[in-house]
Amino acid sequence: MGELSDAEDDLYRAVSRLAAHGPFVEVLAEAAVGLSVRFDGHATSLQAPPRLRGAVFRAWTRTGWTESSVSGLDAASLRYAEGAIERVLAQRPAAQGPPGVSSTARLEKVTPTPRPMRDFAEEEMQSLARDVFSWTTEVPDIRETQVQLGWREDERLYLNSAGARCFQGICRVRGAILPVAMESGRVGPDRFVRGGVGGREILDALTPESARRVAENARALLKAKAPPSGKMTVLLAPDVTGYFAHESFGHGAEADQFVRDRSYLKPMLGTVVGPEILTIVDNGAYPGAWSVIYCDDEGQPAQRTVLVDRGRFVGALHDRETAAALGAAPTGNARRSDFLSRSFVRMTNTYVEPGESSLDELVKEAGYGVLLESGTGGIEDPQGGQIQVKARRGHRIEGGRITDLISSMALSGRVLEFIASIRGLSGRSDFALDASTCGKGRTDILPNSAGGPYLLSSAVVGPA
Amino acid sequence: MSAVKPGTAAAFRVGDRLTGKDPWEVFGERIRRYEIHLSGGKIEITRGPIALEGYGIRIFRPREGVVGVGFQASNDFTDAGIRATLEDAERAARYASFPAPRVGLPTGRGATGGIVEVLDRGLWEYPMDSLDRFVHALHGAFEGRKQESVSFGSVRATLSETSICNSVGLRTGYGHTTVELELGVKAFGGPEGPAPGEFWVDESDRRLRVAELGVRASEWCRYAEDVRRGRPPPTGELAVVMPSSVLSGILPAVLGGRLTGAAETRHVAPPHGARLGSDLATVYDDGRIPWAPMSSPVDDEGVPQRRRTLLDHGVVSEVLYDSLHAGTHDTRSTGSAFRGMLAGFRTWYRFLQAPAVGPSTLSLAPGDAGTDTELVEAAKDGLWVQQIGWSSPDPFTGAFGGEIRLAYRIRNGRLAESIRGGTVGGVALAAEGSPSLLTRLERVGSRPALSESLEAPPVLVRPLSVAGE
Repeated sequence: MGELSDAEDDLYRAVSRLAAHGPFVEVLAEAAVGLSVRFDGHATSLQAPPRLRGAVFRAWTRTGWTESSVSGLDAASLRYAEGAIERVLAQRPAAQGPPGVSSTARLEKVTPTPRPMRDFAEEEMQSLARDVFSWTTEVPDIRETQVQLGWREDERLYLNSAGARCFQGICRVRGAILPVAMESGRVGPDRFVRGGVGGREILDALTPESARRVAENARALLKAKAPPSGKMTVLLAPDVTGYFAHESFGHGAEADQFVRDRSYLKPMLGTVVGPEILTIVDNGAYPGAWSVIYCDDEGQPAQRTVLVDRGRFVGALHDRETAAALGAAPTGNARRSDFLSRSFVRMTNTYVEPGESSLDELVKEAGYGVLLESGTGGIEDPQGGQIQVKARRGHRIEGGRITDLISSMALSGRVLEFIASIRGLSGRSDFALDASTCGKGRTDILPNSAGGPYLLSSAVVGPA
Repeated sequence: MSAVKPGTAAAFRVGDRLTGKDPWEVFGERIRRYEIHLSGGKIEITRGPIALEGYGIRIFRPREGVVGVGFQASNDFTDAGIRATLEDAERAARYASFPAPRVGLPTGRGATGGIVEVLDRGLWEYPMDSLDRFVHALHGAFEGRKQESVSFGSVRATLSETSICNSVGLRTGYGHTTVELELGVKAFGGPEGPAPGEFWVDESDRRLRVAELGVRASEWCRYAEDVRRGRPPPTGELAVVMPSSVLSGILPAVLGGRLTGAAETRHVAPPHGARLGSDLATVYDDGRIPWAPMSSPVDDEGVPQRRRTLLDHGVVSEVLYDSLHAGTHDTRSTGSAFRGMLAGFRTWYRFLQAPAVGPSTLSLAPGDAGTDTELVEAAKDGLWVQQIGWSSPDPFTGAFGGEIRLAYRIRNGRLAESIRGGTVGGVALAAEGSPSLLTRLERVGSRPALSESLEAPPVLVRPLSVAGE
């Protein structure tokens, strides 16, 4: 424990003092180190995470939770936050403890890696960025390319008045290539992103081959045709399948939406919602994945939670409160973006489990439709049960064959209709997880990962 | 300015202790934040004070026709903390390079920027009480409604003292407030008919507006009910009317991304004088619009904000620069340096990031197409799009589009049934000679409204691609 060790005693004492005023108090302290390099052929920039340490205190009062955050872990800063909590506890003392199970976990875990990023010097990162840039720009018509390399080691220490102590140090590493092809006023952007929890080995995916491939994809987009419009058969590439999983049964199964009576899925728990081939999972303990956590921000260990099991909707994602409200156990999904943000029920690594078909078989089965590739984002509607997923490019499928390249498009549809229309999933060799971010509402951005295999279904598609 | 006291301003406390021969800049913030989160009709959690005070140091190291720019942020105000932060910034400056022969940082002269209305006094003095009153009024606005309710929400108030100083004598600062309101307004309907629908309110403002809550709640409830009843649109090329709430998700990202010195440096900016829109497309960048979330007396480098004409009757007129890109292109900063973007979202703190060049508030000049009713009459047959899920425009291709959260069919020049689902999209900004939303602007309304970082009247575009059942 490097960045937080000097503050632990003060944090412990603050929790102990506050515990005398109320039934339950917890604190989460956070610090980070790291470095990111960006090179675009014109400029090189280097940036380290802020030298920012801080903590958030949360306590249960007569009227619910109260929180106070402070930047700084010195005694005076902690006293400021402690004082704010103390005043609220004095005004609104709680007779009983908060709903749900208080963690009593004792855990200390740091990302294991044979090649730590701390040993990767600024010069080496710059040199790799320049190499990747030159591999990418060797492809004709690539006029602009940005290479981003970065790592961030996030330390979090959680203590509560029930005796939990959880320390985790997670190192997230990410590399991205963003080429832009241009010719006669036409523009073709694409991207290649690799990210995960670990060390230097994650950046080994940035090879001359991967750089040239993404550059060729960008160049090909210069000649892409417009996508068709309307309801049709859709084949989702693994990253687009990930967006579907994330936006549909990911956000839809966050149990705070159940408690608010805001999820169309709530009354469907336990029922069959899709074909037997469909299994959707959230797994905070997926080895090496971008959104791995060792415990959540309520001190609950991360775990694999099955949301849809062979077509049946069987589980939801919980924090302590939603688990208590719905008679379930916490699933380790209470997450804060940082010590300045509140905790919400959030996903970790959410994916569709692979099936058994080959890509060729799915294309033949599709007959006519579109293949959506290179997902760019999505958005959910937990109340109305609709999703939107966008893709940067794709292909037409005609006569059971992949044909013309087509430009960016949006997919829209009702989740339950989309799921009922699923006709096939490709196998494990196609399975992939991305390295992205997710917001809850307008803010509260945190690292998130989603993925799956190729997925065949039907939906409305239009240019976007 | 009165909200920032020189003795406690974060930037000045750091700048007064900086030494070294390279040019430098310190951006500081002292922030208090308060939040109330709602779940249904009850308060889920109250948060605050969330106290955050910190600074970002930028070092500019000129060498052989380029500048090494190093940045580091910190909340450690001790001598040792400032020294360590400075050393980090200097180390980054040694490795970094930016293609500018010089950097013209703003001086102290004229850098106050004058008065811009960005501070809600009542909220500043009594933040938690103000939020309590707002939530009470919000609950009151939904009382007695049998068919609609708030399913979730939050109101978050940020009270910031921003201060900026640099090595050429700039010392400026101002206080400002920001309010973020997020609500899910749910319409239940009856036991028969469609399932519940939800209208998502997502707004950013400088003020806590309590007085208008009753009227606004009625409008949100009507929208939620229309979402509930909405059906997918037809597929085809349709005339589309879009208000500022939709345009604000499209135009700032595309125009603000392409009409900048950064886009010029990367060779993706349209040339000066290029025709990118119809005669109706006159667009300003204006960082002094009262109460706009992006308004401020000075930008995040301390350069006074003013109004710039980006498109003059469809033709590229001016481009936005920060100090760095102004150096590259041998011109002056337009006061367009802004901090605080994270994964496409604007954060409530800004000192953690170095500035990037971009727009403040874009303003589309009103046209002569009159009222909303007159625009609908002019459309004759098409869609009025009230909300898109996420239009996420691509800054390079200009392509935008997304799921229709709420729209209304226009039939025979009148608003008809509501639309939910399907997609609408197209290209917002294309190369000269190619069709786009801006070239296909057929009418521009006469009544502008401010929505996030865009002030615009509704516009009629003919056609855009719509996909549905």
